[in-house]
Amino acid sequence: MSGQPAGSPSSARPSLGDSLVSDFDDRDDDLPPPEWGRPRGQRRTATVWVFAVFIALMAFAHSWYTDDLTNEAFLAWATIFTAICLQAMPFLVFGVALSAALTAFVPESAYQRFIPKRAGTAVPVAGAAGGVLPGCECASVPMAGGLIRRGVAPAAALTFLLSAPAINPVVLVATGVAFSGQLEMVAARFLASFGAAVVTGWVWARFGKTDWLRMKQQHHDPAAPGWVVFRDSMLHDLMHAGGYLVVGAAAAGTLNVVVPREWVVTVADLPVISALVMAALAILLSICSEADAFVAASLSDFSPTAMLAFMVVGPMLDLKLIAIQAGTFGWRFVCRFAPLILATTLVFTFLIGGLLL
Amino acid sequence: MNRIAQGMVTLLLGAAALGSTVFSDLYLNYVKDLFQPFLILTGLMLVVLGVWIVVSDLRANFGADGGDTQDSHTGEDSGHDHSRAPWVAWLLVLPVISVFVIAPPALGAYSAAETTTSSPSDAESDEGGEFDELDDSSGPVQLEMQDFVSRAWTDEERQMSGLEIELTGFAAPNPDGEGWFLARLQMACCAADAVVNRVLITDEPEPEKDSWWTVRGTWDEPEGDIAEVREHRFTVTEMVEVENPPDPYE
Repeated sequence: MSGQPAGSPSSARPSLGDSLVSDFDDRDDDLPPPEWGRPRGQRRTATVWVFAVFIALMAFAHSWYTDDLTNEAFLAWATIFTAICLQAMPFLVFGVALSAALTAFVPESAYQRFIPKRAGTAVPVAGAAGGVLPGCECASVPMAGGLIRRGVAPAAALTFLLSAPAINPVVLVATGVAFSGQLEMVAARFLASFGAAVVTGWVWARFGKTDWLRMKQQHHDPAAPGWVVFRDSMLHDLMHAGGYLVVGAAAAGTLNVVVPREWVVTVADLPVISALVMAALAILLSICSEADAFVAASLSDFSPTAMLAFMVVGPMLDLKLIAIQAGTFGWRFVCRFAPLILATTLVFTFLIGGLLL
Repeated sequence: MNRIAQGMVTLLLGAAALGSTVFSDLYLNYVKDLFQPFLILTGLMLVVLGVWIVVSDLRANFGADGGDTQDSHTGEDSGHDHSRAPWVAWLLVLPVISVFVIAPPALGAYSAAETTTSSPSDAESDEGGEFDELDDSSGPVQLEMQDFVSRAWTDEERQMSGLEIELTGFAAPNPDGEGWFLARLQMACCAADAVVNRVLITDEPEPEKDSWWTVRGTWDEPEGDIAEVREHRFTVTEMVEVENPPDPYE
């Protein structure tokens, strides 16, 4: 049940990333012909037993060890880790379900009718569409994956991925509340986020290569009923994005506990550096886009532009999001897409911040 | 990770979501109460999905002639592809362990001390002068800690001056010297975005860390510009220990 070291022999796979993350048990599938091994039924029974033992151990540990955990730093970490997981889970599950529904029930012709063919015009349309659907960033990643799988231009789907968590109505209202009705902050957030999303989409349309995206081809049996496709697609996305969400939550929890906010406040007076520090903080803390305005507003030693950086970068790029994107699209994609987003969001932050704030 | 394991992990994850919302109030330690219906729905969806996967997998492979042919086809004959999940999916048991075994408590004095002197924690009220009228003619005014702190920082009319006020929070030590803090964490969405609001109390002996108290008393009105104040001080006339409030955050 552990990861197999790199360079596994079972490499008849779409990409390196896949063979790296392929399960240890996979070898049993590829190397010996099935009839050599134990009957499949036995492996299933073994899996069921593993989970039965696991649940029994949890019950045991629950009654014996829970009260013995007293290390404050560890408990604070566990609280934040659990909080990020629980908070992201509904958004992730709804996003995955929506994406699975797109895959299973909406015919491909529907997309071709509504989304412009040319990527140049599809990008702003997708960016604006992102502003309509209220959702968190965790939901938008699997949805963008579902759109690409259905033949939508990757640049347009990625623009949607970026703009949906940043400029949807819930986020804008939350920003207005957090900044007690300073409309210029809401406007600046909207413009900078929308601009960054659309420009990133255009850059991707011009320079991006499709094979950077590791989209698993889910070639379904065309005769399979819609519900089976829905179920399999949902499970697939959940396993890929969910595992990485846990990685991101653990990393963000660690930084939340380890980095005291007073270190951050010491640079608040330096104009450009403070904005960069706030952008870095947004990436590390991985706060949900619907809550980040409250945190930005609470760091009131910082200039408005620095707060804007926090709110523009955060929904498009943070540890949790990078991890989920890696699970959905692969690392080759992430190591190109993440720097591009960072660059465009910072440019638009300084541009809009300079003009409006 | 084979398919039945994926189904089991999904099922456990759903159980964790339901266990922390329906069968206990544990979720209040981590997220806002308005997440409850979403978490319940998510938990139900995950449980249904998990059970469905496990049952269909068992039926397809133990069933006499594989009644569910779709599954045996996509699940086994293709050998690899999407019927298997990457190892990273095993990490999904970590939140399950965290909820059922660790059951971490709400953030408390430790975090309140770690985020010391963060800054005026309520820029929300920068405009000032928009506070509701206060009236203590019918007993002490009950204020949320965040309300008290934002008034103390930004209410130029100083409405709280001289009124008897009631605050509820937990005790946290003051690492920098005299007195102790009555603190409360304010959160917008989940514990990761929690911000501390606190008042400094010097005229009562320090209670046990993380114990919850309701204090009555008055705001120590500062001399100069209220926006320059680092710590808000509070003079206690009466304090009563309380059971942990059901929602530890504001």
